[in-house]
Order: sequence, then structure tokens, then C-alpha cells
Amino acid sequence: MEKQDNESLISVRELKKYFNDGEIKALDGITVDINKGDVMVVIGPSGGGKSTFLRSLNLLEVPTSGQIIFEGVDITKKKSDDGKKLDLPLHRRKIGMVFQHFNLFPHKTILQNMTLAPMKTKGLSQAEAEEKALALLERVGLKDRADAYPSQLSGGQKQRVAIVRALAMEPDVMLFDEPTSALDPEMVGEVLAVMKELAKSGMTMVVVTHEMGFAKEVGNRILFISEGKIVEEGTPDQIFNDPQSPRLQDFLSKVLI
Amino acid sequence: MYLILAQSAKTTWWQSLFSGMSPASFFNFSFLPKYLSFFWQGLVYTLLLSVLSVLVAVIPALLLALGRLSKSKAIKGITGGYIAVFRSTPLLVQLYIIYFGLFGLIKIPSHTILGFIDISRFIPGICALALNSSAYVAEIFRAGILAVDAGQTEAARSLGLSGWQAMKLVVLPQAIKNVLPALANEVVTMVKESSICMTLGMMELMWGAKTVAGTTYITIAPYVLVAIIYFAINFPASKAIEAVERRMRRGDRKV
Ligand SMILES: Nc1ncnc2c1ncn2[C@@H]1O[C@H](COP(=O)(O)OP(=O)(O)OP(=O)(O)O)[C@@H](O)[C@H]1O
Ligand SMILES: [Mg+2]
Repeated sequence: MEKQDNESLISVRELKKYFNDGEIKALDGITVDINKGDVMVVIGPSGGGKSTFLRSLNLLEVPTSGQIIFEGVDITKKKSDDGKKLDLPLHRRKIGMVFQHFNLFPHKTILQNMTLAPMKTKGLSQAEAEEKALALLERVGLKDRADAYPSQLSGGQKQRVAIVRALAMEPDVMLFDEPTSALDPEMVGEVLAVMKELAKSGMTMVVVTHEMGFAKEVGNRILFISEGKIVEEGTPDQIFNDPQSPRLQDFLSKVLI
Repeated sequence: MYLILAQSAKTTWWQSLFSGMSPASFFNFSFLPKYLSFFWQGLVYTLLLSVLSVLVAVIPALLLALGRLSKSKAIKGITGGYIAVFRSTPLLVQLYIIYFGLFGLIKIPSHTILGFIDISRFIPGICALALNSSAYVAEIFRAGILAVDAGQTEAARSLGLSGWQAMKLVVLPQAIKNVLPALANEVVTMVKESSICMTLGMMELMWGAKTVAGTTYITIAPYVLVAIIYFAINFPASKAIEAVERRMRRGDRKV
């Protein structure tokens, strides 16, 4: 596994994803580098391709063409040039993902949700996995709910569990797809607070969100995606205070009231 | 009471149509004291046939369902073909082909368990019913697997679990819980369907009725009795399954 770029964690090159035999161009040539420590916030109109972009990064969506080089390995290739077979689960373990609808496992307790993958994929003993899970739960104030089932938690609590479940795998990057969109307004804050703390701890994050406050405050890079293309990219200051393209200006005028 | 009514009424043209079939003959259970064992043994035989055949069907059905959901066209085709054949031909025909064909080659020694179950008939019977049932249960499992939210698989895969681990640890446990009522319904179906095993001399309920009818010349009442027995088992069972299903639906919440 040779490192090809010093700081780039994920290099996306000319990424395209078509649906319905090319009728829908969800991604139409995305090129971007995600560096270690980045908190990249992805914004854009509905249907613009934000989710598809995020889901491509861990190959939940298989790209039509282009490359995704994660820690030096092109994960879009089933076989590397030297004939080695791609171990996709191995790479996915280093890419945590948080979904809009939580996707906790309803038949397992909070603790079991968190220990399942570390035990099954990393060979951790139950005691080791539980110790780590409990420490993470403590970090988000949910240690006392370890033995509850997901259905017994509020939306905000579920999403906090989903975040630490992903963290239990000790990923190198965390992907968030509208993590607060399914929450009641009063629960948005508690989830954003966890994400902010995570960003402060140095975690590399890619966050799709409509929370412009979070984007401004926590993001160090903003990506504006529309119609499958990166229309504009910059610092929060550049994007929010000095938008260049008419499409971004139009978008901001609608979301920043 | 029926007896009195039948005798006191004047014979009319429509009564002659039903000569020898007075309402009383439907409920002439005078054979019961002497032949009771035929019915309770038959009942045990029927219940064993139906419960065991569905249990035996579970594993093949699961493999068939996974095959149907496989990416490989060949596996999809083979499992789809199996299901199509068993769902599109009569169970009676399948029973005969398996009994005389398959078990014409594999001889099972005659041996009696519980005093009335001859395994040289019982085992082929279970096999035929199970092979048939697996085709139906496979479709139940397939629907159950598809009913589990796709987000569950995505979450499992994003945590680095393999496709098979995601299926085994996350999807199947939820799918199986959801299909338990349908599986119980399959047992109810089998309680009824297993009556065809009578034609091969398996001493289940229907065989008991036929044998009693043949020996006593009481031709209707034994069948009425087994109808009552089938109903007394299946109707409450179906109602109980429905109640469980309703409760499970109410318990479903998005997580
Ligand atoms: N599985 C799919 N099959 C067909 N079309 C799809 C599929 N997934 C996404 N699309 C289409 O691709 C385009 C991009 O969708 P995507 O979900 O990435 O947008 P988005 O920016 O995340 O939107 P939103 O803000 O509404 O979540 C849309 O036109 C969508 O309809
Ligand atoms: Mg989206």
C-alpha cells in the first residue's frame, strides 16, 4: 500500500455515476481531494448528487466511471494493477458512515450494535469491544442506555449511537449524510454538538447537511454540488460571503433567510 | 333430535333424493368407542407429518430464498426452476413421484415407532411434503428478506461486515422474526394437505376415517368427525397467528 499523496486521504478523480442507462447523471465528473483533518461540508440543491457522492466514497454506490483513491488504493478497481484482489470490507472499516435514518439494528441492544462489527471483523473479544463501546457511549452521554434497544431511544439519542457505532471501528474518515434531517428540531443541537466535538478531535469528516450554521462554524471547506458537478468550492468565508456562481448565489438566497 | 325429525316427516320427492342420508347419518358417531384409537393416532400422525415437514423444509427453503436473491444468473435460474416446478404441479403427483421414484431406489427398512408409525412410509411422506413446502417457504423467506429495510444492509456493509455477515447477523434475524407467522400458517396448510398421504397408506387422520368407514359401513360420520378435528385445530391456530401478526405490526417502529 504505497502512499501516493502526502496529505490526501481520499482522491476522487472524474467520478461519474449514471442511473437508468445514463438517463440520470447523478454524478457527472467529480474531482476533489479530501485531506487528513478536513471537515468538508457538502451543500447543494435536492437531487444534485450529494448523497450519491458520499455513498460512492465507500462504494455503497458503484461508480459508472472514475477513480476513488483511498489511502493510496483505487477502490473502484476489483483488482489492482499488480493483480491483488480488492478487499472492500477492509477499506470500509476505515470509512465510518452515518445515515439520515440512523439504521441502527433493531434486534440488538445499543451495546450489541456497537460491538458487533469490531468483534466480527477485527477479532476483538467481547470484553475488549464492550469496554471500548462503553467509553464511546460515555463520551456522548449515553452510557446508561447501553442495554436499551434502539426503539427505546429518541431520534437524537439514536443518531448519537449511530455516530459512536461507526467510531467504534476506529475509522480514518467519517461520512455523514444529512444526519439531522430526520430529527425533531429540539434534537438537532445534541447531534451537531457531538459532530463538532468530533471535528475538534481532528477527525476527517465529509458532511452533507442543510445546517448552514454548522457548515460555517465547523467546516473548513465547503463543496457546492449541483446537477452532479462541483459548481463551487472554497472556505466557508468564500462560499457564504463571496459566492461567485449564479447558481450558488441563488441557492444561498433560498437557504439563508 | 335429527333422528326424530327425519322419521316424523312425510317422505317427499326431495327426501328420496337423499335416501340413506338422513341428517342423523352425518352425526352417527356410534363407532367412536370402539375405533377411537384410529382418530387420536391419526391426529398424532397428521401433526407429526405437518410440523416435521415444515421444520425440515426450513433450511432448504432458506437456501432457495438466498439463491433466488443471488447475483448469479445460474443460481437464480436453478432455484427459481425448483420453486416453479413444486408450485405448479399437484402435491399428490409430487408425492407419488417421490414415493415410488426416489424411495423406490432408496429402500427404508420397515420399522414402527410409537406403535403405529411405519417409518418406511413416514419418511418418504415427510420428504415429499418438505420438498413441496420448501418451495412455498422459500417465497415466504424471500419476501421476509426483501422486507428488511435496505438501510440495514448498508449500515452493516459500511461497518465493514461482508455481504454474508450482513445477511446472517443483521438481515436474517429480522427477516425470520417477521416471517414466523407465515411459517406457522404453512404448518396449518400442511395439516390439511398431509391428508393426501392417506393414499399411500400413511395412518394419518384421513386414513383413520376411511378405514373406520370401510369397516363399519358408517360412510359419512367418520369424515364429518375428521373435518371437525381439522377445523378445531386449524381455525384457532389461524386466529392465534393473526393476533400475533397484529401485535407484531403494532410493535414495528423505525429505528
Ligand atoms: N438508486 C437510484 N436510482 C435511480 N436514480 C437515482 C438513484 N439514487 C439517486 N438517483 C438520482 O440521482 C440524482 C441525485 O440524487 P442524490 O440522492 O444523490 O441527490 P441529493 O443531492 O442527495 O438530494 P437530497 O438533498 O434530496 O438528498 C437524483 O436525480 C436522484 O433521483
Ligand atoms: Mg441526499
